[in-house]
Amino acid sequence: MKYDVIVAGGGLLGAAVARELARYNISIAVFEKNIEVGCEVTKGTHAIVHVGLSYNPKTPLKNRSELLGSLMMEQLCKDLDVKYKKIGKLGVAFNDDQVKVFEKMVTNGKRFGVSDIQMIYDKGILFEMEPNLSRDVIAAMYTPNTAIVSPWGLVYGLLENAQANGVEVFTECEVQAIAWDKEANCFNVETPKGTFKAKYFVNAAGAYCDKVSQMIGDNSINMKLVRQQKVIVDNNYRNIIKHVVRTLNAKNAMGDFVTPTVYGDLMAGVQLELTSSVDNVETTYEGIEEHVIQSMKKFVPCIPPAAIIRPFAGVIAQTVDGEFVVRPSHENPHFIQCMVGGSGLGAAFPVACYLTQDIMPQIMPDMTLRSDFNPLRKDMPHIHDMEEEDVAELLGKDPRYGHIICRCETVSEGEIIEAIHRGARTVDGVKFRTRAGMGRCQGGFCGPRVISILARELNIPHEKVTKKGGESIMVNLSQKICNDRGEA
Amino acid sequence: MTNILKHEVDLAIIGGGPAGLGAAISAKEAGVKNVLLIERSEELGGVLPQCIHNGFGLHFFKEELTGPTYTYKMLKNAEKAGVDFSTRTMVIRIDPNNTIIALSHNKLLEIHSKATLLCMGCRERSFGALRIPGTRPAGIYTAGTAQRLMNIEGMLPGKRIVILGSGDIGMIMARRMTLEGAMVLAVVELMPFIGGLIRNEIQCLRDFNIPTHVGHTIKEVNGTDRIEKIIITAVDKNRHYIPGTEVEFDADTLLISAGLIPENELSKMAGVQLNPLTGGPIVDNLWQTNVPGIFAGGNVVHVHDLADYASESAALAAVNAAAYAKGTSSQDLDIKVKAGKNIRYIVPNSITKKQEKVTFFMRVTWPLNNATVHIGDLYKKEFIFARPSEQIRIDLPIGMFMKLNHEEIVVSCYGEEAV
Repeated sequence: MKYDVIVAGGGLLGAAVARELARYNISIAVFEKNIEVGCEVTKGTHAIVHVGLSYNPKTPLKNRSELLGSLMMEQLCKDLDVKYKKIGKLGVAFNDDQVKVFEKMVTNGKRFGVSDIQMIYDKGILFEMEPNLSRDVIAAMYTPNTAIVSPWGLVYGLLENAQANGVEVFTECEVQAIAWDKEANCFNVETPKGTFKAKYFVNAAGAYCDKVSQMIGDNSINMKLVRQQKVIVDNNYRNIIKHVVRTLNAKNAMGDFVTPTVYGDLMAGVQLELTSSVDNVETTYEGIEEHVIQSMKKFVPCIPPAAIIRPFAGVIAQTVDGEFVVRPSHENPHFIQCMVGGSGLGAAFPVACYLTQDIMPQIMPDMTLRSDFNPLRKDMPHIHDMEEEDVAELLGKDPRYGHIICRCETVSEGEIIEAIHRGARTVDGVKFRTRAGMGRCQGGFCGPRVISILARELNIPHEKVTKKGGESIMVNLSQKICNDRGEA
Repeated sequence: MTNILKHEVDLAIIGGGPAGLGAAISAKEAGVKNVLLIERSEELGGVLPQCIHNGFGLHFFKEELTGPTYTYKMLKNAEKAGVDFSTRTMVIRIDPNNTIIALSHNKLLEIHSKATLLCMGCRERSFGALRIPGTRPAGIYTAGTAQRLMNIEGMLPGKRIVILGSGDIGMIMARRMTLEGAMVLAVVELMPFIGGLIRNEIQCLRDFNIPTHVGHTIKEVNGTDRIEKIIITAVDKNRHYIPGTEVEFDADTLLISAGLIPENELSKMAGVQLNPLTGGPIVDNLWQTNVPGIFAGGNVVHVHDLADYASESAALAAVNAAAYAKGTSSQDLDIKVKAGKNIRYIVPNSITKKQEKVTFFMRVTWPLNNATVHIGDLYKKEFIFARPSEQIRIDLPIGMFMKLNHEEIVVSCYGEEAV
C-alpha cells in the first residue's frame, strides 16, 4: 500500500497533523503502535490549554505555538464537538517573593500579547472568585483565557474528522523499520501489518520520537520523559474550585495545581520525576501521599483525601532543551520531525498548521487544497450531558440509550455500542470515549457488562477482551494454576 | 414531548434489592394502594442473585436460603401483595417535592409520588479510593464484581489471587475462587482483626486453609498489562509500613473487599442531609430524612451485616412512609441521638414521633469482650462480646424517652478490648 504521507503516532499531535493534511489532495495514513489512539502521552496531560506565558528566547517555536494554541482551541473544539471550557487560571502567591514572580509574568505577558493578564491583590475579589481557596494566599495572577479541554476527546475528534475526509488510521501498527528507496523515491515502512510505502513520513511518535528518528540514522532528537503523578477527586466536589489554580515550584515556574476537568471532577497534582519509559506509569507513596495530597491541602484545605477516586500517572515526552522540533530531518528532507512537549496540548494544533502550511509546501510543492474538505465532526451522544427532552427523544429512536450500564456517570448501552463503532477496542477505549468506569465506583458495576458488550459487538470471546491491548486480558486467563502459593 | 410519560403514585420505592422488596411488601400490607418499585437492573433482588452461597433468610424467613432463593421468596410475596415493578428503569433525578425522573426502556418517566422511600443500597469501595502505589493493570476487581463475573457471567476473573480486605464478600470470594480451582495466595487485612462475620472467617478462610495476614496492607501492585506481582507489608498502629516485613506474591489478580459505601447520589439531589459516620441519610425514628416525605431504609442508611436486616429495617421505614402517603404524620417529639464512646455510628439520629417502640441499630468501633451498651442513662444491655462486623440492635418502648423531649441521648459501649 502506498501513501503520500504516513504519520507515525496516533496521539494528539499525529491526529492534528493528519487532520490538517487532509485539507490537501494527498493520501494519508496514521500508524498507531497501540490498540487505541491517544492512550500514551496525550492521556496523561493536565488537560489545560495555557494562554502562552513562555518567553524563553531559546524556544521561539514553543512560545509562539502556545500563544496561538490558546487563540485557536475554542474554534477547533466547536468544529469537532469536543468538550472545552474557558475557566481562567489563578496563579496563586503565598508570599511576597512569589508575588514578584507573578508580577513579572504579567509584565511579560502584556508585552507578548496576552493582553488580559492581570494581578489580583484584593482578597475580597479573590476569595469571591474562589471561596474555597486557602486563606494563606495573598495575591494571584489571573489569566481569564486559560481553558480546559478533553485531551483524548480532541484526538477522537481530530481522527474521526480526518477519517471522514479520507485519512486511514491503522492501530496496532508500530513502525518497526524505515528504509529510503532511492529508485522509487519513497520510504518503505515496516510494521506488523506489512510493508507500506510513503513519499513523506511525519514523525509524531511522542515518547518514541527519538527511536523512530534513529531508524533513518537521525540522532538529533534528544528527549526526556517526565512522569507526572496526579489524582482525580470525586465530582461531588465539582463546585469547590472554579478556575485552574496553580502555584510556583521551587524554581519559580508553574508547579502544583488543582483544576476542574471538563467532565465535572477535579484533578490535582503534580509530582514530577524523570523516567525511562512511557510505560512507567506507576504511582508512589511519596508522590501521592507526601506530595500531591499535601499540596492539595495547601491550596484547597476543604477537600479530604477520602474524596480521591483515583491516583494516576502520565508520562510526558519533551526535548531536553524544551524547544519544539518541527522541521525536515537533516538525514532525509522527506522525513519530517514533529515533536512538542511540556505545554503541547494547546500548542499541538498550531504546530500541525505550521507543518502543513509552511513546511510541507516547501518539500512537496505539488500540494493542492481540496474543495470538498469538511472541517466539522459531531461527537457521539452522551446522555449525561443532554437535556431531558433530548434524552427522551433519543430513547424513542433507540431504547438502548435508556439502558444504563455505568451508573456513576450515566452511560448507556447505546453509547458504548456507538463508541465501539467509532473505534473503541478495549475496556479503556470504551472508558475514555464514554466515561463508563471513570466515576466513583471505578468500573465495579459496569466492568462485567462492558466486557460482555465488547465481546458481543467485536464478535470475539470474552477472554480476548483486554483492558488496553497486549496481555491485559480481563477474564479466563489461559495459564495453568501452579500448586504452590508462591510465598516468598 | 411524547416520550415523557407521567405517573402518579402513592409511594415510590427506589431500588429493588432486599430492602426495596421488603419495603414494598410491607407498604402494601399497610394498605397503600399504589406502590411502584423502581429497579435499574433487568432483574430484581439487587446483589442477591449473584450471592449463590447460603446464609440468607434465617431471620426473615426462619430458614436458611441462598441469595437467589431468598430473592425468589421475596418476589413471590411481592407479587401476592400486588406490588407494581418497573425494572431496567434508572432514576436520574429526585426533586425535593417528590418528583422522580427516570429512564425506562424507550421512555422518560416523570413520577409524582406522595412519599418516596430510598432503598438504593450500597456500593463497594474501589481500588482507586484506596490509593495503593504502583501500576493500574488489568486484573483488579472488587470482590462483588468478581462474584458477578463468576456466578452470573460464568467467567473466571483470575487464577492467582490476593484479596485485600476481609469483609464478608471478600471472604466468601476466597472460598468461591478456591472451589473454582483458583489459588488464593493471601487475604490481607489492614486492621488487626477480620472485618467480616465470624461464621465467614471460619467457613471461608479457616476451613479452606487460606493464608490470612491481619495488620497488613498492600504496598505495591506491579504489572504493565496484567498484574504480575503484589507486595504486602505489615503496618503499625498508625497504619505506617513496618520496614522489613514485605512479602511478595506472583499474583495475577487483586480482589478488593475494603468496605461498602451507602449509595446516596440521588438522595443528595433531593436535598437529603447525610451522616458522615454512616454515609447514609440522617433519619429519625420513622426513618424519615430531613426532606418531608422522603424516607430511607436498608443499606442506603447504614450497611447492615445481613440482608435479612436490610429487608426488615426497610420494611419498618415503609410502614411510616405508608402513613405519610395516607396523610397521617406529624412531629411530636424532639430528641437527638448521638454516638458516644466506642460507638462508630447509631441510627436513628433523632426521635420525632410517638410510636410503640424505637429500634436502634449501631456498630462498635473496636472488638470488645463483656461489653455493655448504655442508651444514655435510660437503659443498659450487656453482651458477651461486641464486634464491628456485627451490628447491635436494641428495641425500646417509646415511653422511656418521653421525659427527655428537647434533649440529647448519647449511646456508648464499654468493655474490655478483645484485640
